[in-house]
Parts: sequence; C-alpha cells; structure tokens
Amino acid sequence: MKRITTELVVVGGGPGGYAAAFYAADKGMKVILFEQERRLGGVCLNYGCIPSKAYLHAAKLISEALDSDHRGIHFAKPSIDLNQMRSWKNSILDKLSTGISGLAQRRNVEVLFGRGYFEDSRTLRVETEKGQQFVEFERAILALGSKAAMPPAFDLGNKRIMTSTESLEVEEIPKDLLVVGGGYIGMELGTVYATLGSSVVVVEALGSILSGADPDLVRPVLRYAENAFKELRMNTKVQKMATSGKKIKVTFEVDGKPKDELYDRVLVSIGRVPNTRDCGLENTKVLKDDRGFVRVNDRQETNDPGIYAIGDVAGGVLLAHKASKEARIAVEVMTGESSTFEHIVIPAVVFTDPEIAWCGLTEAEAREKKIPVAVAKFPWTASGRAVSFDRTDGLTKLVIEPQTERVLGVGIVGAGAGELISEGVLAIEMGATAKDLAESVHPHPTLSETIAEAAESFYGYATHTFTKKREEKE
Amino acid sequence: MDVRLPRLGEGADSGTVSAVFVREGDTVKTDQAVLELESEKAVASIPAPSSGRVTKIYVKEGDAVKVGQLIFALSEDAGVDAGKAATKPIDASVGDDEERELVVVAEEASASTTEPLPGESLSQLPTGVVPPGSPSIRKLARELGIDLTRVRGSQRGGRIVMADLKRYVQQMQHASLKPKPQAVPFPTAPVAESIDFSKWGKVTTKKLTTLRRTISTRMVESWTTIPHVTQFDEADITSLLALRKRYASKYERKNGHLTLTAFALNVVVDILKKHPIFNASLDETAGEIVFKDYYHIGIAVDTEHGLIVPVIRDVDKKDLLQLSLELHELAERTRQRKVGLDEMQGGSFTISNQGGIGSAHFTPIINKPQMAILGMGRGVLKPVVVKRKVQQRTMLPLGLSYDHRIIDGADAARFMVDLVQAFESFKEADVRI
Repeated sequence: MKRITTELVVVGGGPGGYAAAFYAADKGMKVILFEQERRLGGVCLNYGCIPSKAYLHAAKLISEALDSDHRGIHFAKPSIDLNQMRSWKNSILDKLSTGISGLAQRRNVEVLFGRGYFEDSRTLRVETEKGQQFVEFERAILALGSKAAMPPAFDLGNKRIMTSTESLEVEEIPKDLLVVGGGYIGMELGTVYATLGSSVVVVEALGSILSGADPDLVRPVLRYAENAFKELRMNTKVQKMATSGKKIKVTFEVDGKPKDELYDRVLVSIGRVPNTRDCGLENTKVLKDDRGFVRVNDRQETNDPGIYAIGDVAGGVLLAHKASKEARIAVEVMTGESSTFEHIVIPAVVFTDPEIAWCGLTEAEAREKKIPVAVAKFPWTASGRAVSFDRTDGLTKLVIEPQTERVLGVGIVGAGAGELISEGVLAIEMGATAKDLAESVHPHPTLSETIAEAAESFYGYATHTFTKKREEKE
Repeated sequence: MDVRLPRLGEGADSGTVSAVFVREGDTVKTDQAVLELESEKAVASIPAPSSGRVTKIYVKEGDAVKVGQLIFALSEDAGVDAGKAATKPIDASVGDDEERELVVVAEEASASTTEPLPGESLSQLPTGVVPPGSPSIRKLARELGIDLTRVRGSQRGGRIVMADLKRYVQQMQHASLKPKPQAVPFPTAPVAESIDFSKWGKVTTKKLTTLRRTISTRMVESWTTIPHVTQFDEADITSLLALRKRYASKYERKNGHLTLTAFALNVVVDILKKHPIFNASLDETAGEIVFKDYYHIGIAVDTEHGLIVPVIRDVDKKDLLQLSLELHELAERTRQRKVGLDEMQGGSFTISNQGGIGSAHFTPIINKPQMAILGMGRGVLKPVVVKRKVQQRTMLPLGLSYDHRIIDGADAARFMVDLVQAFESFKEADVRI
C-alpha cells in the first residue's frame, strides 16, 4: 500500500479548491489537490456558472435577433442544432478546464482524480484509477462543494425530471417545461429554455421569485418573465410527480386540493445540499450544522485544528467567488496572516433578462436591521446608452449612510448589471462616499454613468433626472 | 450596538462595577441605568444610550473596567422610537465628541494636543457597519491589532487612510512612552511600613473602596499641586433667614426646600460673574487661563460611601425655586448612588456646606481643575456691633480656598467682601414666588 505525505491536501477541485491549492503552492507549500470528477473546475465550470452563461449568451442572441424588426433588421426564425450547440458549450468547458490543469502543473500542484475519504484527522484515503492510496497531510482544506437538492418525492429516476446539471446538457427542447423553484438557477435556465422555444411554467413556494434581491430590482425581471414564460405561479407547492408515458404528471397543491398537470420535462431547482456525506468527516473532529454544512469560524477553521472548509460546503451564500475568497483566507490563516472573512462584500449576480446584481447592504436588509439609510436611484430610462439599445428596463440604486454619506450598498437591474456591480463592490470596500462616486468621471455613453448619476441624484443634481434637492442635514 | 464604557469625567479612566441592574434579554429604555460603577469620586450609574434589548453583558460585579471597554450589547428594539434611537448614536458622536475633547483638553494637564487620545472611541456606527477604510488598511489594522473604530479618518465620510493609521500608531507610542502626569503615586507611596496595631488593643479592618481610594488620590493631587490659601469671613444672614422663614412654606407647597445651599448658589453665581477668575481653570500645558461662559456649580454631598460632588448646570439661568428643586433632587439621587457620570462633569466652582451638621470655619480643598471652592459652616447667633449697638445676629462662617498660583490674596479678599455683602443684602424680589 502506497502512502504519500504532504503539507496540504485540498479536497475538491472547484473554484474554491483549485484557488486554494494554487495560492498555497504560490506560498511555497507542497500541495495535493483531489477531484472526484474527471475534470477540474467543479460545478461552476462543468455544470453551473460557465455552461449556463454559454446558453444564456445563445438565448440573448436569439432574443436580440427576434427583437430587431423595429430596427429595420429582419431575421428568419432561427434553426437550432442542439448537438452543435452542446459541442460548442463543451468546447468552452474543455478550454477552461485545460487551462486550470496547465496552471496546476506549472505550480507543481499534484492533482489526483478519485474519491477522498477521511480515515482520521491526518489521513485521507483515495480511490483512484490506479487503486487505493493513503495520503498523510499536515493540513486539509475541505472544498467539497454542493449538489442540486432532489427530494425523494421527485426522485423517480426519470431523466425527464432534471436538476440544473442535466438541464445544461439540453438533450431536447421540451414543449412544456415546468421549473420548480423561482430562485436564480430556475429563472436563468427557465430563460434559456423559453428562448429556445419551450413553454415554461415556473412555480415558487414563496410569494416572490429571487428572494434576497430588493423588490424594485426584481420587478423588470418579473415583467420579462410574465411575457416570456407561460406562467409564473407564486405560493405554489408541488406535492408529487409520477411518470405518465412520455410525460411527467405533476401534482400541485392548489387551495388545499391536489391538481394534476402534464409536462414534457421538469427542472427541479429548489436549492442545493452540501457534499458532506460519505467522505469520512465523522472520523475527524469536523462539525456540521443541521443542514449538513461544515461549521467554520470567520477564519475558515473547522472544529478540527488543521482542517479548513471553504466554498459551498462551508455554507453561507453558494457562489464561486465567495469560495475563491474563502480559499485565500484559509491559506493566509494557515501561513499566519490575520485574515478573516468578516466584513467582506460578496456581490450577487442573477443572469436573468435583464440581469440583477447587488452588493453590500440591501434596502430590505437596512429596513430589517433598522440601519438608517438614504436610497438614491437612477432609472435607466434617463440613460442614453440604455436607450440606444432599447434596454431602458433598468435601475441603479445606492444605499447610503445619511450622516457620513458613505455607500453601504449598491443594487442594479438592467442589461449587463453583472459587469457594472464591481464598481459598487470597490466603492463599499474602499469606504467611498456618494460624493466620491459622483465626483469620479464616468465615460459617456456607458451604463456605468448610471452609478455616478445615482450618486448625483442623492445630492439633487443629476444631469439626466430631476430630483428635489436633498434637504440640508440638520 | 456594542456599548463601551464612556469617559467617566475629570481624569478618570477606570472603575469597578458595583452593581448590574439588568439581565441579558431585558429591555431597557434610553437613559435607564444598566450598571453602577464605583469610580473616581463617584458611584454612578451607566445609562443605556438608546432603547433596546440587552443582548449581552460583558462585565460582572467587582470587575475592574476601563474607558472604552465593551460593557454590554444592545439590540435596538422594534418600538416606535427605534428609528430615532438608531440614529441617535451618530448625532451624539458628532456633538458629544467635540465637547468631550474640549473637556479633555481643559481638564487633563497631560493633553498636549487636541487629537483624540488613544482609547477614545470616535464614532458610533450603526450596527454591523465597519469603519470606512480600504481592504488593505483594514488588513493592516488587523495585523497590528488596531481597532479601527478608534482611529480618526481624515477623508470624506471619515474614511481612514494610511496616514491616519500612522498618526494613530505614533500617538499610541507617544502616549505609552510619556509618563502620565496623573500617575502621581498613591498617597501611601513612601512605602509605609506595616504596623501591627493589634498589639496595643483590639482592632477591626475595612478595605478601602474604589471611591475612597479615588478621593484620597485626588485630594493628594490637589493638595500637592495647588498652593492653597483660605480666606475666612462671616456673613450676617439674619435678614436672609427672615426671608427664608417667610417663604419656606410657599416653597414647600411647590416641593422646594429653601436651604442655605440654595441661597448660596443664587448668591455665588453673581459674585462669580463679577470675578470671572474664580470660575476659570488653568491649562498648564498651554500656559493659558481658560475662562468659562458657563456657571456649573458642584455641590459636595455627604453620602454613606463618601464625598460625591454632582454638578448643577447653568446656575445663572435658574431662579431660586428651580435651584432649590434641583438641588434637593440631585442630592437625593446622589445619596442613593443614582447620579450619572455626566452629572459630575464640567463643574466650574464648588460649594461645600457643612452647616447642616454643625461646626464653623474649615479649609476646603480645591476640586481640581477648578480655581476655588467655598466652604460654609453653621450660622450661629452672635453678639455683633451694628450701628454702635450690640445686637444678636446670625453669622454664617465662610471659607474660600483658592489657587494662589493664579489668584492673589487681594482678589480673594475682594471676592469675599462682595460675597458677604450679597448674603447680607439678599433681595426679597429674588425669593418671591
């Protein structure tokens, strides 16, 4: 039996895991990176962020073409070759994954593919293609990730009932698609399928889609969805599903009574569960919370000294960039730096049509926590750039601390909001005031001007809107 | 909201928790007493800065606490005035801090600069809001173990930049290297040899309380740094007492107690206006005399725990009824140890009236950094020559101790003459209600 020793093992090769492995190697540590799939990149690269964005780009292309008649450009109805589209998507993933492997190699990070299992707090057993291996480590980073939740009542083993992972293969364009869950995954993939030609029904158990985002930011997406989807049903629960020939019979609970409907496919996007089962964590001192996420402190330390956890498996918001930041914190803590996840601004982006992005304090959160704030808004109907490509369905808003005028939060809905939000992150992290944003020159004509104009409107002198002058501070 | 121990007043930077009035989970209203602290020359309650629920108490009875130390945490409640309560800390931090700084400058001989002292919290930000500074600054502060809430940001919105952090570190170093003038050795400094008193008879011992230690430290400091001179005189208060007799019941009906101290407050403030040097302070560092446009007069109150001196504000703006009401209420609260720390700060002159107990002249010790203190004894009937005839008059013994560094004997004599005159010619108009 072969035993390997190393300073650090990183379990999981997603955007948290490979970032941690690379950073630790850059800091001079001997690192082994484990990935149970055959390819690095994790859910993000293989079944999440990247492939969904490829399809959303295709969807955007189709929408733009179909929406260009008034511009004097007439396209025929597009013909879609799903196989070619899938190959194109896969080529993107290959490119990125190869890139990551190359970077690992150049850093001398050893990558082992196989399932890892903790024998104890210092030993990991790995089942690789070449057989069993034992790795003794000084420190470990758990970057195990998460997977789409699939309740047993829906889990019929029928491929027509999909999670986000299967839906991104787009085997067919179902005539009738039911999306269970109006969170960001359901809304993004619903948009893809609706644009490709499916008749999409989204059901959401709560009273609104995209909970967590401020309602005024969600409104333009609701308008889009009401138009592009067959139906949006709030406060609706799915009781069960059953195979019915080539269709899925879905039983809803409507006014306390069951109601059946038939769908060609169903996408279940009701949340994600951590990959903390069957990996031997019970043989360590690592503690989990009642939902199975690994408990960590703000230095990413678990209850087991020397074992850290980052990314989805550590709970919180399940976002790739949060995982990558936690990777840096974990490694820095290991090397004796006093880093912490405290007070770090994690932006959120929903790639719907239009996109929603926010960071820092939301208006709703301020209200809930009774933090006194002023809110400055700039509607995109007043943005020349937005008008120039017919996307005035946008809004930029700043959440401002009224005494110091410091920017505490930024929320944007509109085309390309995801690209715009970074300025907000920087502003909050730097402790910038609304004045700082207003005084920084933003190039014309761009959507970024909406941030400066929102800041100006706080003082009552935005060029392209008219707001009543802000009353002098008492 | 985390609540830290506020500055306790004249030169104080620590104390001992003598009681905790609330438990975790209790809801409190703005200004409700949360803890009681024995400190400097007072036993004082620490009030809640806003309404809310006490989520955590970090100290317990007997703990020694320092200014700036976390004492309890408050979550703003959902009450009607919650919004107001939440904004209050910000408003308070603007005005209060400035005021506090001035007080620091005036009262601490060590303060060589108007920069805030290390350990003084500068801003109270809303819950969950960190002081504004870039990620690199915040990281450096973490590495150096610096609490950024204590660093004054020089940029827009109070943003902290590298220069601010450097200045803070320099100040810290400066402060730690410089010997503290307050660190005057404790009165027992010349290592007292332990004497076994029990060999001459039965004895019992009692530990000095924080309050008693503080009183003794401050008395030594005042006595050893200020050259005291005491000016004596007597005032004929026969007619004043007649006025008191005539109006006492009218005052009683309004719950006012027409005491001699109340009269003295009313009388002294006019004399202070005429002789502003007695209402001033000496800024030894700047080499300046600080004249005050306000007349906040401290009243020495005898409590079972020791001497406490609460302050009556703006005495010049209050009539005799107001003064008598306030004096009574403040003295009561002082005896019940329920007087707030801020109520003991900012005095510009002090009156110590022992008349209620008896006895005559004494030499009071100046309440540093004030310039003078008036001691009153008991008024007694004496044969006095008035218009060449011996009459029975009630004479009030007065002793005015003053700082001879700044005030000359002639000034004090003039003050005393005017004061006696004022007591003797108290106008009925001033007592009428």
